[in-house]
Amino acid sequence: MSILWWGEMMGKTKQIAICAMLIALALALSYTERFIPLQMIFPLPGIKLGLANIVTLVALYLLKTRHAFMILIPRCVFGALFGGGITALMFSLCGGILALSVMAFAKKIPAFSIYGVSILGAAAHNVGQILAAMVLMRSIFIGAYLPYLLLIAILTGFLTGSISAGILRAVPYAHISLPAEMSK
Amino acid sequence: MHSVRLRFQKGDAFAIAAVLLLAVMVFVAFIPSDNGSAAYAEIYLDGEIVRTVSLAEEQEFTLASDYNNTITVADGKIAVTASDCPGTDCVGCGWIGSSGRSVVCLPNGMEIRVIAQDGDVDFVVG
Repeated sequence: MSILWWGEMMGKTKQIAICAMLIALALALSYTERFIPLQMIFPLPGIKLGLANIVTLVALYLLKTRHAFMILIPRCVFGALFGGGITALMFSLCGGILALSVMAFAKKIPAFSIYGVSILGAAAHNVGQILAAMVLMRSIFIGAYLPYLLLIAILTGFLTGSISAGILRAVPYAHISLPAEMSK
Repeated sequence: MHSVRLRFQKGDAFAIAAVLLLAVMVFVAFIPSDNGSAAYAEIYLDGEIVRTVSLAEEQEFTLASDYNNTITVADGKIAVTASDCPGTDCVGCGWIGSSGRSVVCLPNGMEIRVIAQDGDVDFVVG
């Protein structure tokens, strides 16, 4: 990937622009996936493909970890603002932050490819959400759903991992120039 | 992009195995000890019990908090049959009738727990 020197201001502006673009993309993906009737295949409340995780995963591999967080957190805030409210915010932040932390850690382990990282991230997302639900409901009963969510996380994590791998393979041909302080 | 691993490799099987193991452990931890016929259900709002209903008598009522959950009891089972909460996952949970099962409506902070006749629900923890 060609890395151009943009100067201090140019670099900052471009960082903001790239983050903003990826936040918008993640929001669009999480809105779109509502129309995919995954519940018809797996009749479980609250399950989804986690397409927005593709953005987080690509950001994690392409940019620095802090940029991935800078994309994730506004995405959760705006997502809650557009639909869901404060409960949804707590859920997506708990799931999202735990997932990204686990993925950033797993990525450093040579045994895992992007598939393993994605699957662990998807699983961590569910664990985070169930923990948030336990706190919110002041009850551990909801933990009974976790095994089913985890099984589906293996499938959805594999899917988002393979899509992210495809994107990352294509990126070098896209002639995207990233500011030096943003790229790996 | 030097050492980026984009192909599925053997190590990823460990990631899958770890998630499977966690799923099995949590599943075992939440197996209800009593699968016998349930007698009543406790309804909680934000962690506090607000109502106890017998599953023997058919009834329908609406529980209002942040949202309105319509709860129906029929054939020894209980369900949220209508709700104005976003998502309506509580309705999607369907009918439950055996002890230890629960239906939750997160937006409303509502939980229905089915309890056996002889008191508390026990868990096999392991």
